[in-house]
Amino acid sequence: MADRAATCAGCGCGCDDIEVAVGAEALERVTGTCPLGDAWFAERTADPPPAARVDGREVDVAEAVDVAAAILSEARFPLVCGLTATDCEGQRAAVALAEAIGAVIDPVGPTDAGAAAAAAQAFGLSTATFGDVRDRAEVAVAWRADPATTHPRLLPRLRLDRAGRAAGAHPARTLVVIDAERTETAEEADVFIALPPERDFEALWALRALVRDIPIDRDPTAGLPLDAFGELAGRLRACSYGAMLYGSGLAATADGYVNVLGLLALVRDLAVTAHVVALPLRGDGNARGAEDVLAWQTGYPSAVSFARGHPRAQPGEFSAVDVLERGDADAALIVGFDALGQLPPRAADHVRRIPTIVVGPGATETAAVARVAFGTAASGVYREATVHRMDGVPVPLQAPLTSSRAGDRDVLAAIAARIAGEEGS
Amino acid sequence: MLRIAQGRVYDPANGIDGEVRDVCLDGGKVVEEVPSDARRLDARGMVVMPGGVDIHSHIAGPAVNAARKLAPEEHRADVVDRTAVTRSGTGGTVPSTFATGYRYALLGYTTVVDAATPPLAARHALAELRDTPIVDAAFLVLMGNNLSLFELIREAAPDSTGRVAEAVAWWLEATGGYGVKLVNPGGVEMWKHGNRNVTSLDDEVEGLGVTPRRVLSTIATAVDELGLPHPVHVHCNNLGVAGNWRTTMDTLDTLEGRRAHLAHLQFHAYGGSPGKRPRSRAPELAEHLDTHPEHSADVGQVMFGPATTMTADAPVSALLRDITGGKWVNADVEAETGCGIVPFAYQERNYVHALQWGIGLELFLLSRDPWRVVLSTDHPNGASFLSYPRLIRLLMDREFRNEEIARANKKAIGRTVLRDNLAREYTLGEIAIVTRAGPARLLGLAHKGHLGVGADADVTVYSENADREEMFSRPRYVIKGGELIVEDGELRAAPAGDLLRVSIDFDQEIERTLEPLFEERYSVQFSNYPVREPWLLEPARRVRARRGGSER
Repeated sequence: MADRAATCAGCGCGCDDIEVAVGAEALERVTGTCPLGDAWFAERTADPPPAARVDGREVDVAEAVDVAAAILSEARFPLVCGLTATDCEGQRAAVALAEAIGAVIDPVGPTDAGAAAAAAQAFGLSTATFGDVRDRAEVAVAWRADPATTHPRLLPRLRLDRAGRAAGAHPARTLVVIDAERTETAEEADVFIALPPERDFEALWALRALVRDIPIDRDPTAGLPLDAFGELAGRLRACSYGAMLYGSGLAATADGYVNVLGLLALVRDLAVTAHVVALPLRGDGNARGAEDVLAWQTGYPSAVSFARGHPRAQPGEFSAVDVLERGDADAALIVGFDALGQLPPRAADHVRRIPTIVVGPGATETAAVARVAFGTAASGVYREATVHRMDGVPVPLQAPLTSSRAGDRDVLAAIAARIAGEEGS
Repeated sequence: MLRIAQGRVYDPANGIDGEVRDVCLDGGKVVEEVPSDARRLDARGMVVMPGGVDIHSHIAGPAVNAARKLAPEEHRADVVDRTAVTRSGTGGTVPSTFATGYRYALLGYTTVVDAATPPLAARHALAELRDTPIVDAAFLVLMGNNLSLFELIREAAPDSTGRVAEAVAWWLEATGGYGVKLVNPGGVEMWKHGNRNVTSLDDEVEGLGVTPRRVLSTIATAVDELGLPHPVHVHCNNLGVAGNWRTTMDTLDTLEGRRAHLAHLQFHAYGGSPGKRPRSRAPELAEHLDTHPEHSADVGQVMFGPATTMTADAPVSALLRDITGGKWVNADVEAETGCGIVPFAYQERNYVHALQWGIGLELFLLSRDPWRVVLSTDHPNGASFLSYPRLIRLLMDREFRNEEIARANKKAIGRTVLRDNLAREYTLGEIAIVTRAGPARLLGLAHKGHLGVGADADVTVYSENADREEMFSRPRYVIKGGELIVEDGELRAAPAGDLLRVSIDFDQEIERTLEPLFEERYSVQFSNYPVREPWLLEPARRVRARRGGSER
């Protein structure tokens, strides 16, 4: 049994200091992981679903590829979605296939933060990779984010937990948590500011005013902890380097888009006096990669339609959830995503009504009812690959075990090749 | 096999200046002869040049991609349809990867150097280059604000490079890079210290025991010791600041006797004092280059219209942010570099923009050696690479140039020698130098930029046209690696290009020095840092460094 290095893509942290003990065709032990990482490795090494099924019947991969190609070729409004849990290589193949069939393609996962990406696209942002936050930040603010729960290793990796702060380069560094109630992250913090739910935008705007010494009309800010904000504004203005951590708690709400704009605007105001960066937390292992691959291949990070032979993007119109809820899509290719379990009910209902093709390593509810389901070799265990951490840093996934199965990228490429062959004949 | 028959050939590296002759191609190379029944392209009345070589552009990696995300409106207005041989994409000042490859090829360019890759993001840059078809591509690795290198520079004895040369070699090998780029050495690190910067070569980089001068000097010497095919590629301190020509001269003086290439010299050629209106100091810099054969530059021409400023020099982007008030990206890359992006538009009526435009033209028109002052717009910073044909017309056509000068801000033009109705017009031979032969030579790409036997079969054929912008916008034929890629402005094929990377012998023991430095500074494991994935690195062509002067 040998210990080997591995990388975990169980969340957007991309921890690449994992060690696995490799036994006879199995991982005997995984060390260095958090509970999310344990679950990620467990899912990827569990008894895999059949390599290929059509209508629940096990078939050769080649036959399933034929059926999938036929479904996608015949579809008038095919949708390609998921993508946030597959690797960059799979994402490249998925975009190529989506283009070939004139599909709408949109990354969607269980902890979708589309509003955060859209706000950054509209406004720009100041950000940093983990190492600079770890080594330079004197003040860190977790805004309605609870990384201690959602990204269990993030605080220690950024030396923002209590022990890490004491040992870090700036022993006086401060962690501030802003949330409705005391979270696990708040337990690690120096300062906790209670902020009622759905008051984020007013709070961020009030902080902007405080940071810029603009008098505040007290009425609209009633109920906001202005004294604590005043102190926070002072801290942020005075620091040499600060970081704002935020995620779906801020973004995945009805006001998500303006909330994130508010936070990015605050960071920009602060940039006049201090070096403050925003770090958007991403839940899915390669959500950032999906956005990056789509952007380099099409110019847009999400919600792209190839229906006219070139990319057009329109969040809302071409977002996977909207396309499904409106009942537009007449076939769906779902990559590495348990759509039925994780989409909103109306979107999930439409997935049940249309022919679906599922590509991914796991045995999901969606795969079980799909017209065509491919059980692929999981990257990070059986296939080498690349993922982009939520800070954009590309990290390699290793392959401690071998598998004769195809990876996501191979299946997607095979379907594309089959379709191209049909077009040619 | 292909014979390009009876074109007027401009192959300055081989002393051919408009001679009517055949160019024969076989097996991806230029050859002496092909059989008489080989396929023949009739190039009578046409101009034949080697494929274009862009020495300084920004086409791949996280900064470019962040800029793409910022510009949906540009992409909507400029789309590229899928065809039987091409992928779809979008354009604007920062095109998608496929569109970038196609558009360079449609312009007759077959080799492009990305000038600023953060080593930590090498995998990302490489993946994008794999999706950038046709052109052979290389990238330069950002090393001017690298904390581990700072440590080794600080430890090195005065007048010695210590372990720096081995470390530089390791970084190039670890990333698949081609050469070394320094951007505002020391200044980008200081940006992370409360938004500060360095303003002179002797400013201390706070707490790190190095100065910009020490960084420049040590790394330039290390690059020479390693015998890298391309010298150190320097984006000087104080970019864009009035009076910065003194810093630029100081940089050149510091590097005297050592090979160095200065990036986008136009942005570093300003007189005046900081905070005041800049003046032109192009004549002084052109004069320096004329008398220092070890030094070269690309111009970084500004063209009026939309651009996207994109730089590892993040403090400069903050200044631009405050000018435009528009979108701004800042992205700190741990222990290595930074990144700033601001969409921008250069306006002919604006004093500063017109002065920048004028200074670029001055550098072209005053420099006597086109081999060492070559064409770039620092795409997409000064303008898109799509504006090269217009720039070529400005250089070749005095009447057109004077019309354009008349439209630009008069005060600005009055500060340049352009007011003197300069007579110089670039010849086709000189254009061939500044757009292919010169960049290839400065890059040390022996197989590129010329049409001698054994050169890569990268050839561009233009229909003669008195309107040089028209002529260079739409080559009649483009051949890459012997394959006909473009015919009459249409792509006929879109094969993958190669990665061009350097190959150096170095002491692997340097890893023992670097590993502990990494553990303190990075958030990735040392063992995961070097790129090993074959799908990112292959196919590649290695260019050997000539360490210690030994021949390859």
